[in-house]
Amino acid sequence: MIYPKKINASHSEIIVRLLLILSLLVGILLTIINKITSPNIPWAAFTNCGIIYVWLVTIYSINKNVNIAGYVLLQTILISLLTVYIDYRIGFKGWSLSISIPIIIMVANLAMLILTIISYKKYLRYAIYQLIILLFSILPAILITEKIVTNPILGIIATGISLLNLIITLILSSKDLKEAVVRKFHM
Amino acid sequence: MKTKNKENTTWRRLDNSAKIFPISAGKKYSTVFRISCLLKEKVNKEILKKAVKEALKRYTSFKVKMKAGFFWYYLEENNKDVIIEEEKDYPCKYIDPKKNNDYLFKITYFENKINIDIFHSLTDGGSGVVFFREIIYLYLELMHPDVFNRNDRLLRKIDYNTEDSYMKNYSKKAKGNVSSKKAYILKGKKIKLGAISAIHEIIDADKLKEECKKYEATVTQYLTAVLIYSIYKGNYEKLKSKSKRPIKVCIPVNLKKYFPSKTMSNFFSYMTLAYNIENKNKNIEKEKEEKKEINNTDMFIKILNFVKNEFKEKLTEEEILKTMSANVKLGNNLFIKSIPLELKKILVRLSYIEIRKYTTITFSNIGRIGIIGKYKDYIEYFLMLIAPEPVEKIKCSGCTFENKMVFTFTSILNDNSIEKEFYNFLKEKNISVQIESNEVLDDISKEN
Repeated sequence: MIYPKKINASHSEIIVRLLLILSLLVGILLTIINKITSPNIPWAAFTNCGIIYVWLVTIYSINKNVNIAGYVLLQTILISLLTVYIDYRIGFKGWSLSISIPIIIMVANLAMLILTIISYKKYLRYAIYQLIILLFSILPAILITEKIVTNPILGIIATGISLLNLIITLILSSKDLKEAVVRKFHM
Repeated sequence: MKTKNKENTTWRRLDNSAKIFPISAGKKYSTVFRISCLLKEKVNKEILKKAVKEALKRYTSFKVKMKAGFFWYYLEENNKDVIIEEEKDYPCKYIDPKKNNDYLFKITYFENKINIDIFHSLTDGGSGVVFFREIIYLYLELMHPDVFNRNDRLLRKIDYNTEDSYMKNYSKKAKGNVSSKKAYILKGKKIKLGAISAIHEIIDADKLKEECKKYEATVTQYLTAVLIYSIYKGNYEKLKSKSKRPIKVCIPVNLKKYFPSKTMSNFFSYMTLAYNIENKNKNIEKEKEEKKEINNTDMFIKILNFVKNEFKEKLTEEEILKTMSANVKLGNNLFIKSIPLELKKILVRLSYIEIRKYTTITFSNIGRIGIIGKYKDYIEYFLMLIAPEPVEKIKCSGCTFENKMVFTFTSILNDNSIEKEFYNFLKEKNISVQIESNEVLDDISKEN
């Protein structure tokens, strides 16, 4: 073996197809949940836009060879702040906290989940960003327990996806995650 | 280096070939080539770092960073440390200066292998080998001080400069050859997720030479013919292409063999062989009717004769001078010179999309890599790789060390049929071939 192990082209073809199917299923599932739980608020349209957005960001990041995880984190924070600001400017009805931020967190966690599964071998470079996104994902849970949001359904889904992301990350890359923490926070 | 500025850092102009690379380069067109050395022992990172540092003291032309001027890029002395990393990414990827302490070359290692990825603005394959060989010598001397007396070798003065040999040797009177016909572009899907496949066919050099002798061809001529044959069989015929465009093979030429030069900057030109499939097919069809049957060997011999003829016609000092001079004149054109760099970038990138359609594949054979005395005992073989591009999806390269000629396919095409045809052809000729790859595409030696 004279090269580090890389994903075989036929495997990457299968992975891309599976992820496309997964994205489609998640989109359909969220639409059904939306129809059943809160048919008056079409939040599934936003989550589906988010999924498309993740695909665009991923394609862009691969083509430009940028650190996708860093990109996802930056976008998560900036878009969250932007929606809170817009909500505040138009009379603060709380939709940024009950709808936007959970959707953004859901999409960010899904993006990180895809990234972890595709490239867990070079996970070390994504670990810190993943950790920050996971920490940020606690926010919907805090908002629900503190009763700041009136409609907790999206917050619950977002927390569920974050937990799933955390579990899969720990299974696949706990060693890298630990090494990244030790490296960044050594005294 | 040309002049000194107030901060005492030196700078130099880019040579005529190098000018174009930073303007056209990007993540998709990295214009990076790689030379690797397979040692017989595991690589020690710290020793490698020391070796690279020392090599840079001898070859200061590599200790540079790229800066943007108003009209052209230029090279400035780089005082930062070189970054040495374990190989993680695909070969020949774009070298982002920001992530590489501004250096235009990148040193990586993996198990027994040392790699140097070089941005083509810095130098060409020939001079790249000179610098890389120095790193290998120094590495082995530092690793085995009991075996090698480094002073013996280091006492030998290295004689080189960084002049623009194009400017010194080109002819104002020479008229260029204009090729107007676009090339056959390899068909097929690209590999997903930005991956690059590297397949090395390690060929028994003695057997290969014997085979070449039978046809009175050089190794480069023979392998070029095998390559055209493989493209025809593995891509054109297999995918039932109806393209009337010729298979065009671009072959870089080391100009130091034709003109006096001691430069460590770029000094190469190229020749393009255009094998016209349509005509050949017509001929073959005619012959099919005449002979009722035509086998693959006949077809190969036809291609080889064509290649030999082209080499004879195009590999003359006069022809080389024509191509080189045409390129120099373009770079020297006052109008082009006076376009601001940012505008040049837009224009060049737009025109490059079109220019790249004039080549099917590139095959660069840097030839034998000579290693002195006992150093040979520590080396298995060398590899040479060139970055593939969105239009030229496969690039080929070759180098020889001792009895091992390594022919490399770097590809973004999700199909290894050309590589397989090439392998099978040599096998059929009873030439021993061993395959090494980064396993992005399936192992061709294990497939049926």
